[in-house]
Amino acid sequence: MEILGALTFLNTYTLAELEVGEHFLWKIGNFTVHGQVFLNSWIVIGLLVIASLAATRNIQKIPSGIQNFMEFVLEFIRDLVRNQIGEKEYRDWVPFIGTLFLFIFVSNWSGALVPWKLVELPSGELAAPTNDINTTVALALLTSLAYFYAGLKKKGLSYFKHYIEPTPVLLPIAILEDFTKPLSLSFRLFGNILADELVVAVLVLLVPLFIPLPVMALGLFTSAIQALVFATLAGAYIHEALVDHHD
Amino acid sequence: MFDFDATLPLMAVQFLLLTALLNAVFYKPLMKVLDEREDYLRSGDTGSKDKLAKAESIVKEYERQIAQARRESQDLIQKAQAEAKEITTTKIATAQQEVQSQREAATQEIEQQKAAAFATLEQQVDSLSRQILEKILDPELVK
Repeated sequence: MEILGALTFLNTYTLAELEVGEHFLWKIGNFTVHGQVFLNSWIVIGLLVIASLAATRNIQKIPSGIQNFMEFVLEFIRDLVRNQIGEKEYRDWVPFIGTLFLFIFVSNWSGALVPWKLVELPSGELAAPTNDINTTVALALLTSLAYFYAGLKKKGLSYFKHYIEPTPVLLPIAILEDFTKPLSLSFRLFGNILADELVVAVLVLLVPLFIPLPVMALGLFTSAIQALVFATLAGAYIHEALVDHHD
Repeated sequence: MFDFDATLPLMAVQFLLLTALLNAVFYKPLMKVLDEREDYLRSGDTGSKDKLAKAESIVKEYERQIAQARRESQDLIQKAQAEAKEITTTKIATAQQEVQSQREAATQEIEQQKAAAFATLEQQVDSLSRQILEKILDPELVK
C-alpha cells in the first residue's frame, strides 16, 4: 500500500488514496472501536430515521411525496419478506429483514455516492459501514440468532430435531451449515463492498475523473444487489427454520 | 483488514436499536396504513359488486318486461290481422253472392225478353209467310 500511496504525489491534487486496514480508533475503557464505521453508520441511521419520520409525520389515506416513496419501499420489503417466509408468518419478520435491507442498502450507496475523502479524519477514512468486517459479521450473527430464535419459538426444543432428519448421517453437514451461513453472509457482503471501493479507488488513482465512472455505476448496481441478497438470504434462512417438515 | 474488536457487538446492539426504532416510526404506522387502505378498497370493491349485481338484475327485469310487451304486441297484431282477414273474406263472400244473384236476375230477364222476342218473331214469321204465300199462290187458296 505504501508503494501505491507513494504514487499519489504524481498528482498535483490528490483525488484518491488507498488506505486499507487503517482505522480511526476510539478507546472505550479497555476496548477499541472503529470510529469511522460508527460515524458513518450514524449518518446512515440518521438518514433512515429522518426519512421514516418525514413519511409518517402526517399520514394520509392518499399518499403523496415522501410518504408515497416510503410506502413503495415498504411494499418492496414486504413482498420480499412474504416471498421468502410465506403469507402466514411474514409479518413478524418485516422489521428485522427490512432493516437489514435498508441499512445495508443505504450504507453501500453512501459509500459509493458520497465523496467521504473530502472529510478529514485523524486516521483512516469514512466509507460504507459495510466495508468493515465487524459490521457484516455483526449483521450475519444477528441473522443466525434470528433464525435460531424463529425455530425455537415456533417448535420449542424439537427445532433441533431437524439436525438428524431425515437421516442422522447428515448431522455434521447440518451443524456445519450453522457456521457457513453467517460466514458466507458476512464475507460476501464485506468482500463485495470492499472490493468495489478498492477497484474504484485504484482506478481513480490511475486515471482520474471519467474512466472510473462505469465502474462506479457497476458498484452502485452490485451494492444494491448485495443488500437484496443479504436480506433475501436472511429471509430464506428464517423460513427454513420456521418450515414444518412433518407436513 | 480482519481486526475484530468491540465494534462488532456494539454494531449489533446499534442495529437492534435501529430495528426497534424503525419498527416504531416506519414499519408499524405504514403497515397499518397499507392494511387500512387494503380493507377500504376491499369493502369498496364488495359494495360496488353488490351495486353491479343489482343493476344487472334490474336490467334483466326490464328486458323481461320488454320481451313480454313485444310478445303482447305481436299477439295483438296477429289477432287484428286475423280479424281483418275474416272481415275481408265475409265481405268478399257477400259481394260475390250479390253479384251472383244480380247475374241470375239479369239472365232471367234476358231469357224472358228472348222468349218474348221469339214469340213476336214467330208471329211476324207467321204473318210474313202468309203474305208470301198469298203473293205466290192464289189468295183464295190460302184461306
